[in-house]
Amino acid sequence: MAGWMQAGVDADERLDLAQTGQVLRRSARMLRPYRRRAMLAVGLLVIWTASILAGPVLVRVAIDHGIRAGEPTVLNRAVIGYLFAAISAYLSYRVGIRSLAWVGEEFLRDLRNRVFRAMLDQSPSYYDRTKAGVLVSRMTADIDSLGELMQYGLLMFISALLILTGSLITLALLNWQLLLVCLLVIPILVPASVAFKREANNAYLQVRDGIAGTLSSLQEGISGVRVIQSFAREPIEGERFGEVNGQLYRAHMRSVRAASWYLPVVDFSGVLTTGLAIGVGGVMVRSGRMSLGTVAAFVLLLANMFDPVQQLSQLFNMIQSATASLAKLFEVIDSEIEVVERVGAVELPEHGDLVIEDLAFRYGSGPPVLSGIDLTIRAGERLALVGPTGAGKSSLAKVLARLYDPESGSVRFGGVDLRQASLASLRQRIVVVPQEGFLFNGTIADNIRVANSDASDTEVELALERIGALERVLALPDGLSTEVRERGGRLSAGERQLVSLARAAIVNPAVLVLDEATSSLDPGTESIVEHAMEVLMAGRTVIVIAHRLSTAQRCDRIGVVDHGRIVEIGPHDELVSARGAYAELFAAWERGLVSP
Amino acid sequence: MIRAERRGLILGVTIALGWTLVKVTIPWLVRVGIDRGIDGDGSLLLATLAIIGAGVISGSLTGLRRYWGFRNARRVERRLRDELFTHLLGLDFGFHDENKTGDLMSRASTDIQQIQNFVMMLPVTFGNFITIIAASVLLLVTEPTLALLALIGLPLVNVLGMRYSQRVHPAMVGVQNESAELATVVEETVAGIRVVKGFGSEDLFARRLAVEAADVRHWAYTASTIRSKFLPAIELLPNLGLVLVLARGGHLVLDGRMTIGELISFNIYLLLLIQPLRMIGMVVSFGQRATAAGARVSSVLETKPAIAGPADPTILAEPGVLADETGVGRVQFRGVFFRYGSGAPVLTNLDLEVEAGETIAIVGATGSGKSTIARLLPRFYDPFEGQILLDGVDIRELALPALRRAVGIVFEETFLFSASVRDNIAFAHPDAPREDIRRVAVLAGADEFISELSDGYDTLLGERGYSLSGGQRQRLAIARALLGEPRVVILDDATSAVDPTKEHEIRDALSALTGQRTTIVIAHRPATIALADRVAFLDGGRVAAEGRHDELLATNQRYRQVLAAAATEPEEG
Repeated sequence: MAGWMQAGVDADERLDLAQTGQVLRRSARMLRPYRRRAMLAVGLLVIWTASILAGPVLVRVAIDHGIRAGEPTVLNRAVIGYLFAAISAYLSYRVGIRSLAWVGEEFLRDLRNRVFRAMLDQSPSYYDRTKAGVLVSRMTADIDSLGELMQYGLLMFISALLILTGSLITLALLNWQLLLVCLLVIPILVPASVAFKREANNAYLQVRDGIAGTLSSLQEGISGVRVIQSFAREPIEGERFGEVNGQLYRAHMRSVRAASWYLPVVDFSGVLTTGLAIGVGGVMVRSGRMSLGTVAAFVLLLANMFDPVQQLSQLFNMIQSATASLAKLFEVIDSEIEVVERVGAVELPEHGDLVIEDLAFRYGSGPPVLSGIDLTIRAGERLALVGPTGAGKSSLAKVLARLYDPESGSVRFGGVDLRQASLASLRQRIVVVPQEGFLFNGTIADNIRVANSDASDTEVELALERIGALERVLALPDGLSTEVRERGGRLSAGERQLVSLARAAIVNPAVLVLDEATSSLDPGTESIVEHAMEVLMAGRTVIVIAHRLSTAQRCDRIGVVDHGRIVEIGPHDELVSARGAYAELFAAWERGLVSP
Repeated sequence: MIRAERRGLILGVTIALGWTLVKVTIPWLVRVGIDRGIDGDGSLLLATLAIIGAGVISGSLTGLRRYWGFRNARRVERRLRDELFTHLLGLDFGFHDENKTGDLMSRASTDIQQIQNFVMMLPVTFGNFITIIAASVLLLVTEPTLALLALIGLPLVNVLGMRYSQRVHPAMVGVQNESAELATVVEETVAGIRVVKGFGSEDLFARRLAVEAADVRHWAYTASTIRSKFLPAIELLPNLGLVLVLARGGHLVLDGRMTIGELISFNIYLLLLIQPLRMIGMVVSFGQRATAAGARVSSVLETKPAIAGPADPTILAEPGVLADETGVGRVQFRGVFFRYGSGAPVLTNLDLEVEAGETIAIVGATGSGKSTIARLLPRFYDPFEGQILLDGVDIRELALPALRRAVGIVFEETFLFSASVRDNIAFAHPDAPREDIRRVAVLAGADEFISELSDGYDTLLGERGYSLSGGQRQRLAIARALLGEPRVVILDDATSAVDPTKEHEIRDALSALTGQRTTIVIAHRPATIALADRVAFLDGGRVAAEGRHDELLATNQRYRQVLAAAATEPEEG
């Protein structure tokens, strides 16, 4: 009836039998902790089915042995039996629905947690290979479609399947010859159901695309309304939206048309079998080969049998789409992790030099990004990395923090190869502060605690105070408890960077890897941020990816990275007088900044 | 809205009536078949054929009924959404400042969907209503006492159906809301994965998700518990009716006061009534939701744009036609007062004259109103006092499209559309020839990087396409603004995201622009400001000082303060 039974699956995502079997076995494994509840649920639904089907059978008994035989006691017994059947159906259904839902929702919760944990445990390289949108849709669209299945589909699917099979068995037991006659509808019903299932699937896919298209047009139109108005483009955008909206309408209509020819077929099949039961059954009753009660039971059973047929033809798409989703989710859970903690990993020492030896690195099987890098960064030294975009500065920084493992060569801190270090101590000693401060929903304090979830309020305040940002934060309406909103939207770019720096301050690492922001801040904030960075850098080993040469100038040494190699390294003055790559960069930069 | 679809509704109602008639006839035919065909001497064949014939009609009408009901509902949905979107595009900046995108989106999607659901059910409900009455009357005529016994519990089905729909709805909304919150956690964790991995805080985020997953589970399970209370009860009531029919009806047949056919047809009628009764209960709460949704949608549709063009617009004189030969693009602000909504005054008695072809920089501290000037000239907002003139004409006398084509604006936050680079530049003029698009891209210093993209000007941008850097986006936006040959170009902090080492390219571009047309630059980088012929320094809601950049630097202390931190860097370098 309503739209919620619509579901579908793309042809290339549909699983074959073997894959489906795998997914089902895997799900069964995950269901093991709840298997008693699951068995209880199925058992109760079987009892419910039997109770429902008992009704027409009891009507038959009442007619044949009570009314026709003139035995009021038999009639009364049948009535009492019917009453019990109705109550039994009520109770078993009630508890059955609950048990099934309990199992389904526990399974989903478990699945959500496991898939997310698997994502979190993945190395950054995994996130390079997999688009963020895909990962998000695994945890949302895919699991939500399973959620919908749990909400409406699964119960309906199991009930429909049980009622259909149960009805067929009961009818066969009552009179298999008459059942065979009624099954004459199969040549109409089965091809129609198959065709409808396919058409409904295709229509659904179009509707899904239509909805996505409409939503993204809406989103773009509304959030871009200022630009649209600035260029007086309202009529064109209105027309374009009309087209997208029209596509959605046509997709909906395709789905409506499919149902509009299929439902009549099911409806007609139902009435046809009733007619056949009366006509053929009547002839058999007249010739004494069957009782009138059996005809009555047939008519009543058939009246309840065709809704399940129609439901199953739609639910089948939902189940297929759900197994396809499950397969994708299990794939996430089963992906291998690249950067892992070795067995017997050791703690990194508190201080030490960073020594890079003959380092080579590439992303996955891509082209080499870094090669032949030898570099020693002394404890407490400040090194700036400069060079054109794509030269490998950021990659080098990531390998230094073991967000990636090198292809060959090694990075050692205080004599310990990073690959031998425990991940906890590694994240404690070496901290990367990314370009733009990335903020999560929650308060400012929550955001600082991302770096150390056990930090007390005092520790959080102390971290802010140390970098000279406490005053600025306390000036906000709710101070540390200010909700930063989505992506920190409520804070200015500078304030976001301050929070990001406070995170590093609370960890108190030995090595700090700073990725300087490219965009400039308003002048007032810029100086606070610069001060915070200065404080944070004091007394630590610092590697800064510099976009402004004024930053580079202030470092002990500058390494010029080009084509994955360090082509020059040394203090600013030395490099300038060497008239090499750095001197050229510096000259160009100076020209750019001086007023004409 | 619904009135416009009246003819469709009437046809739907007619189909529903026919459907009811056939549906009610079938159990009667079954009764005739049993009583006369099997138990009596009537023709069994005739009864059978009549049933099958009724099946053909019933089937066809079922299909038609569905088709009409759904078709009308989808048409209403489509028209309403088109109308809402067009209307939203016409509403002024003030409206859009006050309404979140997400909220407006949900009116155009969820709310309209609710209305559609209800419209879809209208003809079906009417059919169901008639079916209930017809079947009840038939039963009462056949055997009044038995009918009363059979029907006594059925109104409760209706009540339970309504209650169920009302009770389960909040739980379903709960599932949706919690799922959305869970999605937010996932989305931002994936987006911020470098932070998460960098601090080794995987456990913290796993715990966050576990909280959300538990919330989703809570609501989903609550919905199922509600379902488990209502669905079996809704099923039990008609079953009890069937038990009563068999108990009383069986004895009536035994006593010879009723036929077996009548008894069975009673059963079938009862089965026939369950679905309509449930649906009518549901329709009530669907109607309540649709009414609330309708109110939200029409509140938007009834909002009149605060800014509209005049009925009889003045047409700007073509360049060269002007008598005084000064060229086009002269801008005058006269005694302008402005505030956003009911906020603090932003501009107080602002006077500013920009000569045709002049390049002026507007400088001021954050909140001084410099961006507001950029938003008043194209009439995104209207001042509440004062007057703004473009080439001597009050901008309120110009047609809005004409005014906005005459003023090209580049915003600080660059918004590009999911389309090709070319389509994004040609935004205002989709039919612009390729050479023109190329020319403005060169002017804006964008041609070089566009040519390096995989598909050049055909590269797709946006969500599913290539993502450009902030500076590249801004250069595209500048090209976009230039394409329309506007009389006035406004650059609202438009070069802030450009890499400092690349800024000279933009400046080259700007120098190419300036001198050809009036340019208003809002910036805080001294290098950019210095490009202007003149600087207007905004302070306290008005122009506090005017002059060349170096003059102001030398004479105005407040000006120096505002620029201080930004000015140090290049002078050092």
